[in-house]
Amino acid sequence: MDQFKQLVENRHAYAQSWKARTGGKVLGWYEPYFPEELAYAAGILPVRLLARHEPDDRSEKWMYAACYPARDILNQFLKGRYDYLDGMVTVEGCQWMYHAFESTLRSRPEFWNHYLFLPDYTDAPTSKTVLRSELQVFQEKLEAWTGRTVTDADLDWAIEVYNKNRLLLRQIYELRRAQEPVILGSEMMHLILADQVMDKAEMNEILERFLEELEQRTPHRDCIRLMLIGSETSDAALEEMAESLGANVVVDELDTGSSYFWNNVLPQKDRLMALALRYLGRPHNPIKDNNWRRRPQHIFELYEDFSADGVIIAKQIYCHLHGTDNYAVWKLLRERNIPYLFFERDTTLPEEETRLRLESFLTVVRQGATHVCGWHKTLA
Amino acid sequence: MSKYGIWPECVWRSPEMNWRAARRITAGIDAGTTSTQAAVLCDGALFSYASLATGVDFNRSATLAMERALEGTDMTVADIHAMGRTGWGSANVPFPAQHIDEVQCHAKGGRFLFGPEVHTVVDLGGQTCKAIRLFDWDRVRDIMMNDKCATGMGRSIERLCELLEIPITEIGPRSLEVQTDPEPVSTTCFAFANTETMGLFGRPEFRAEPLSEAEVYASHLFAVAWRILGTIGKLQPLDVGDIQVYGALGFTGGLAKNPGITRRIERELKVTALESRYDPMLAGAIGAALLAG
Repeated sequence: MDQFKQLVENRHAYAQSWKARTGGKVLGWYEPYFPEELAYAAGILPVRLLARHEPDDRSEKWMYAACYPARDILNQFLKGRYDYLDGMVTVEGCQWMYHAFESTLRSRPEFWNHYLFLPDYTDAPTSKTVLRSELQVFQEKLEAWTGRTVTDADLDWAIEVYNKNRLLLRQIYELRRAQEPVILGSEMMHLILADQVMDKAEMNEILERFLEELEQRTPHRDCIRLMLIGSETSDAALEEMAESLGANVVVDELDTGSSYFWNNVLPQKDRLMALALRYLGRPHNPIKDNNWRRRPQHIFELYEDFSADGVIIAKQIYCHLHGTDNYAVWKLLRERNIPYLFFERDTTLPEEETRLRLESFLTVVRQGATHVCGWHKTLA
Repeated sequence: MSKYGIWPECVWRSPEMNWRAARRITAGIDAGTTSTQAAVLCDGALFSYASLATGVDFNRSATLAMERALEGTDMTVADIHAMGRTGWGSANVPFPAQHIDEVQCHAKGGRFLFGPEVHTVVDLGGQTCKAIRLFDWDRVRDIMMNDKCATGMGRSIERLCELLEIPITEIGPRSLEVQTDPEPVSTTCFAFANTETMGLFGRPEFRAEPLSEAEVYASHLFAVAWRILGTIGKLQPLDVGDIQVYGALGFTGGLAKNPGITRRIERELKVTALESRYDPMLAGAIGAALLAG
């Protein structure tokens, strides 16, 4: 098992040891728009709540027919796996995650919690001032909770650590552009997931060492290059399956993937405004993209930049955000003759059906059956 | 084991072909979840085939199918130059054969069975429904497939026939005796759908107008056809702006022999499916033989 997969597997033990070691608080967060820098500046470890592939044997009483990540996160809370958390935060976004957040609070009312509003219309003239004021409220609440004032110096330090982290992730990610990349899609996905549950200062050291290791690595052989888009995920099962069939996911557009670190905070005197602009300006998921529809174009640019040969769209079942947005993405892919394969994920990935479909799709891509951008590579 | 749900096993051999005169002999085995086919081709023409129920042992079924296809021909497996294997049980095929994915096999086999005009091949198999769109040449443009359970596909109909004690060859024609289709049964789950269909029989005291037998069959098969329509409808058109959505359509697999399914799909799509030159269950095996060669 690679080191990052192991970090993801051992995330609960890591958070507990961090807590014992530092005496700090651990804060769980649900939504990709959570401004972690603020919590980090207050001496808190923010950890992303990730789902596991387990039967949701407890959550059905509380929520039903929601996407599996939301159900499973609730299930894990009910099973006591997150007992070490001191609090949790959700941000305006997916309603299933909000449902999981509320249901958890009903069963665990003792948790410190906060709901952070982030405008869905990210480009509206007042969005940045609205978000800035929301961040101000959140900061004050954090200060009251921790008994510690978050100074400008604290914010600068946190922003610096996070910016460095995003830069390192981006540096590693960019290596995937190579025709023979040194890192496979599954390893990269595990790396990004691990990054979201670890102390960024510690993770930065690991990433710096890893970058040095990568320089010594023998590149993987050239193969079919895939792009993965769709709902958030907490594993690399699809990437691993693609690799077992002779393909490699070289780029993704997932909230748990590249979108997590794609843009940095541009420092300015008003630190909260700098944070607000970073989160309003990141590559948007469908719920924040309903005004300008920039997401399809972003997907296409990534597809071209990383010379992908085909796209896998993996939507979580019951994910209404991606269910709604998919039509715009399909339209774009069809108009540009980009081959794509659409999946619905659930608690488990149906192994044989998925393999069969993926295998057939790869044959189609390998044959260069459509006038895809980058298809010339498959003929080489 | 009840025989109601099993398609009659068959063996066929070309009466006029002399395999010894062939320059290239290829074979394909489609080890499916519910039935297994072996096809032998001489210089790209069908020489012989066998089709039988898979049973519990893929290995044994594949061996038996090949033995039957070669029976009485003097040909042995050693005479075959190349062999392809496909289907869910493909890994269990005991012969030295190249694994070829099912979609490519059905696409190729579909062209063989229906001719070059076919642009949409719909494989109605035991576990899966695969809708395949083809370019003018034998390449796949797009595929759609059920991605979870076997809801409503071949195995489900076989099981229903066993429960209702109606031969699988009859359920389709009987379902077409109705003037208009009744409401379809639940399409969400094989177990629920079959239970619901069973529930439509008997207990007439709960119905003001009890359903006839034909209406019960129609209710079930309409539901299955409706689900398959959803899969076909998601296929990408051949070209951007293409208005000929379905192209010429051909059905393969066991359910292709069930007019209760195929006629309903044709009716909803307002098309007439192409006639298969041979048993449509052979598409996978023929495709494997062609692609292996």
